[in-house]
Amino acid sequence: MGATLVLVPVVIAAWPAFSAAVVAAAASLGYHVAAETVKQGRLAAAPKQAGSVNLEIPRSEVVTNQLGRDQRIAVTREGITVVFSRDARGKAALCVTGQGQDADALRRLGEELSQAVVQQYVHQKITDEMRARGFVVVEEETNQDRSIRLKVRHWEG
Amino acid sequence: MPQHEFDITIGADGSVEVHVKGYKGKSCTEAVKLFERIVGEIQSEQKTGEFYEPEEQVQFRIDQRV
Repeated sequence: MGATLVLVPVVIAAWPAFSAAVVAAAASLGYHVAAETVKQGRLAAAPKQAGSVNLEIPRSEVVTNQLGRDQRIAVTREGITVVFSRDARGKAALCVTGQGQDADALRRLGEELSQAVVQQYVHQKITDEMRARGFVVVEEETNQDRSIRLKVRHWEG
Repeated sequence: MPQHEFDITIGADGSVEVHVKGYKGKSCTEAVKLFERIVGEIQSEQKTGEFYEPEEQVQFRIDQRV
């Protein structure tokens, strides 16, 4: 072994890659995609008397052109709706709404889903980069704590 | 044929732990930089014995003249 590293992810992604990570993360946690749209207002309005919490994904930037600036994607599960978008500063943001849930519960659900989005984004990026460099994925498994273990190998010569 | 391997764990929060295997010396440094470019910020780094091994194999040929 040459070195052991621990890294904190920085998400800098174009909207298609980011929304793909949202879809993958949502599926892994039992959400389904409600809608993906460009303009605000096309998504179904949150039910009345539903609480809402706004969060942002730390160390993130959604890169987009003028046309893609207002893109959003909504996922839903058991009365909870999470809408992902790009905020005015370019950060990946999410709004969590749901009836019968207090702010703390909505925040926990939002953080769980946003962490899963980051995990899926990082997983896809690592596997794409490794394959592009001639590495082969020889082992892959998802552990009980939802971590993903990958072993990639490359032979010189 | 030298083999290069990465043993990668992606946590539920997206944090990444990588064990770099089969890279020696400067090539190990390049492998570390690669993951920094792919993932993000290095939180901790621990070099292991293989890092300090010479990167290139040096062969000695001894000729004896009589």
